[in-house]
Amino acid sequence: MKLMKSVLAAAAVTLGLGATSPALSNEEGPILVVSGPLSWPFFAAVKKGFDDAAEIFEVDYQYIAVTDTSNMTSDYPRLLQQAISREPRMLLVGEFFPDGMDPLIKEATAAGIPVLIHNSGQTLWEGNGSIGFVGEDPYQMGYKAGQIQAEAGVTTGLCFNQVPGNPTVEERCNGYVAAMKEAGKETVYQTIGTGDATNPQAMTQAIKGSLQANPQIDGIYTLNAVPAMSALRAVDEVGRKGEIMVGTADLSNEALLAIKNGDLAFAMDQQPYLQGFMSIQIAHQYLNYGLHPIGHVKTGPLVIDSSNVEETLKVNKEHAGVRGAS
Amino acid sequence: MLRNFMKRPEAGAFAAFVITYLFFALATPGTGFVSVNGTAGWLNLAAELGIVAIPVGLLMISGEFDLSIGSTVGASSMILALGTNQYGLPVWPMVFLALAAGAAIGLANGLAVVKTKLPSFIVTLATNFIVIGATMGISRLIANVTSSSIVASDSAKFVFAARWGQANISILWWLLVAFIGYRILSRSIFGNWIYATGGNLDAARGAGVPVQRVKISLFIATGLAAALVGILQGVQWNSGNATYGMGFVFQAPIVVVIGGVLLTGGYGSVTGIVLGTALFGVISSGIFYTGWNTDWIQLFLGLLLAAAVLANNYVRRLALSSK
Repeated sequence: MKLMKSVLAAAAVTLGLGATSPALSNEEGPILVVSGPLSWPFFAAVKKGFDDAAEIFEVDYQYIAVTDTSNMTSDYPRLLQQAISREPRMLLVGEFFPDGMDPLIKEATAAGIPVLIHNSGQTLWEGNGSIGFVGEDPYQMGYKAGQIQAEAGVTTGLCFNQVPGNPTVEERCNGYVAAMKEAGKETVYQTIGTGDATNPQAMTQAIKGSLQANPQIDGIYTLNAVPAMSALRAVDEVGRKGEIMVGTADLSNEALLAIKNGDLAFAMDQQPYLQGFMSIQIAHQYLNYGLHPIGHVKTGPLVIDSSNVEETLKVNKEHAGVRGAS
Repeated sequence: MLRNFMKRPEAGAFAAFVITYLFFALATPGTGFVSVNGTAGWLNLAAELGIVAIPVGLLMISGEFDLSIGSTVGASSMILALGTNQYGLPVWPMVFLALAAGAAIGLANGLAVVKTKLPSFIVTLATNFIVIGATMGISRLIANVTSSSIVASDSAKFVFAARWGQANISILWWLLVAFIGYRILSRSIFGNWIYATGGNLDAARGAGVPVQRVKISLFIATGLAAALVGILQGVQWNSGNATYGMGFVFQAPIVVVIGGVLLTGGYGSVTGIVLGTALFGVISSGIFYTGWNTDWIQLFLGLLLAAAVLANNYVRRLALSSK
C-alpha cells in the first residue's frame, strides 16, 4: 500500500502534476471540518455557512466539534488528530488552541493534506503551511471596541470574560485593554468561575458586584451576547442606566433589540456565516481548480450600532441562524 | 438546647453561613453588599440553584444522584423558545410541555436506575449528555439554532419573572419548593421512607418501604424542578439556550453536601440544604463586591467550600460525641 502510494507520487511528480493539482492527491477522502461547539449560537451560524455553501457547490463535508466544552484545550487537538488520521481530502480547521493544534496542522500539511484555517489562527496560518485563513482577529475586535468606548468618553472600562482560559476570547479583552490604555484610560479585567459560563444570573451578580466595588467603571465590554444582557441588567440594578456604556462582541436577537432601544451601544459582528460559507467555497475552488485567495480573508469586525441595527434585525428574522442567535 | 441544635444536620451549614456572611459584610464596606439590593442579588442567584438543590438533596438522602439536571434546565428553556418563537404557540401550554419533559426525563432516570441497578451517578451522567445532545440536535433540525428568543405572555412573565425592586419571584418559588420539601421530608411518612431507603436499603425493603417508588418519585421531582428553573431562566432572560444550567450539575450536589447531607445517604435536612445554597450564593456573589483580582475566585471559592464542609463535619462530630 505504502509502496503503491510512493510509485503513484513519483509518477505524478514526473508528469508534473505534483504541485499544480493537489486535488489529485487524495480524491476519495472526505472534506473534514474541525470547528467550534454547536451549542454556541456563534458556531451555529458558522455551520449554517458551511451547510449552505456545501449545498450550492455540491460538496460533501463532515462537521467535527466537541459537545462538552469543559476540556476544550485538550479535546480539540485530539479531535484534530483523529480527523488527520482519516486522511481527508481537505481539512478546514478552527485553530482555537494553537499550542496543541499547530504542530498537528504542520504534520497534516507536511503529509500533503491541504488545510484552510477559519475563525481562529490568523497569525499562524502562514507558518503551518495552510493555504489561507478566513475569519477575524480577536485582538483587533477588542481593540476596536476599546477605541469606540475611549472616543465616547469612557474613563474606566471593564472587560468581562465569561470563559477564562480560552486564549482566543481572552485576546479580545487584551485588545480592548490595549486600546483603552493607549487612550490613557483605566481598565478592569474581570473573570467568573468556569461553572457559571452559561448562567446569566451568576454573570449579572458578578458584574453587579464589580460595579459596586468599583464605582469609577463607566464602560463595559462583554465577549458574548448572553453576558451583554447580564451586564445591562447589572447596570440597571446599580441604578446607573445611561451612565455606563455597554458594548459587546457577537450578536443575538436580544442584543440587537437592546441596541435598537439604546441600552446597548454596539455589538461587534465577526460575521460567522461568512467564515463557514467562504471556507467551503475556497475548498471547492482549490480542490477543483487550484485557486485560492492570497493572504487572509477578513470577516470582521463589522460594528453594529443604532445606524444599521434595523437591517440586521430584519435579516435575523427572515433567515434564522445566519447572524447568530435568533 | 444548644446541644440539641448542634446535633441537627444544618448546624454546621448555619455556622458556616453566619461566619461567611459576616466575613463578606466586613470585607466589602460601602459597596452595598449588605443592602436590600445586594441581598436581593445573592438571593436571586441562590434561588435558581436552590430550586433544583432541594429535590437533589432529598434524592441524595435516599441514596441516589442526579447529574442530568443541567441539561434538563437547558432543554426546558429550549422547549419554551422553540414553541413560542418558532411555532408561535402560546406560552402556557409550552410551560406545561417543558414541565412534562422534565418529569419524563426524571421518570426515565428513575426507571433506569431501579431496573438496571446501575449507579445513578453513571446513569444520570449519561442522561445529561443524551438530553443536551437531543436538545441541540432537535433545535438545529427545527430552527437551525441552539439558542432562541422566548415570547412570553404577561401572565407568564408575572409568574416566572416578576420582580419586586431587584428581588426576583424565583425567591418565592425557592421558598415554596423548600416548604414542600420540608413537609415531605420531616412531616410525612414518605419522608421516613426517604431516610429509610438511603439509610439501609435492605432493611427498608424488609420493613415494607416501597423503595423503588420512593426513588422514582424523587427522580421525577428533580426533573420537574430542573424544568422549572429552565422556565424561570428562559422567561427572565427572554431566551432559551441548550447550555443553560450546566453549572448546576455539580453546584447542586455541592450545596447539598455543605448543607449537611451525607454523600452516602440517609442523613440530612431541607433547612440544611437551604442554608448551604444561601452560603453558596453569598460566596459566589459577595466575592465580586470585594473588587479583588477575579482570577483567584475559584481558588477562594474552593477553599471556602472546603472550610464550610470541614466546619460542618466538625460541628456534627462534636455534637454527636459529647453527651
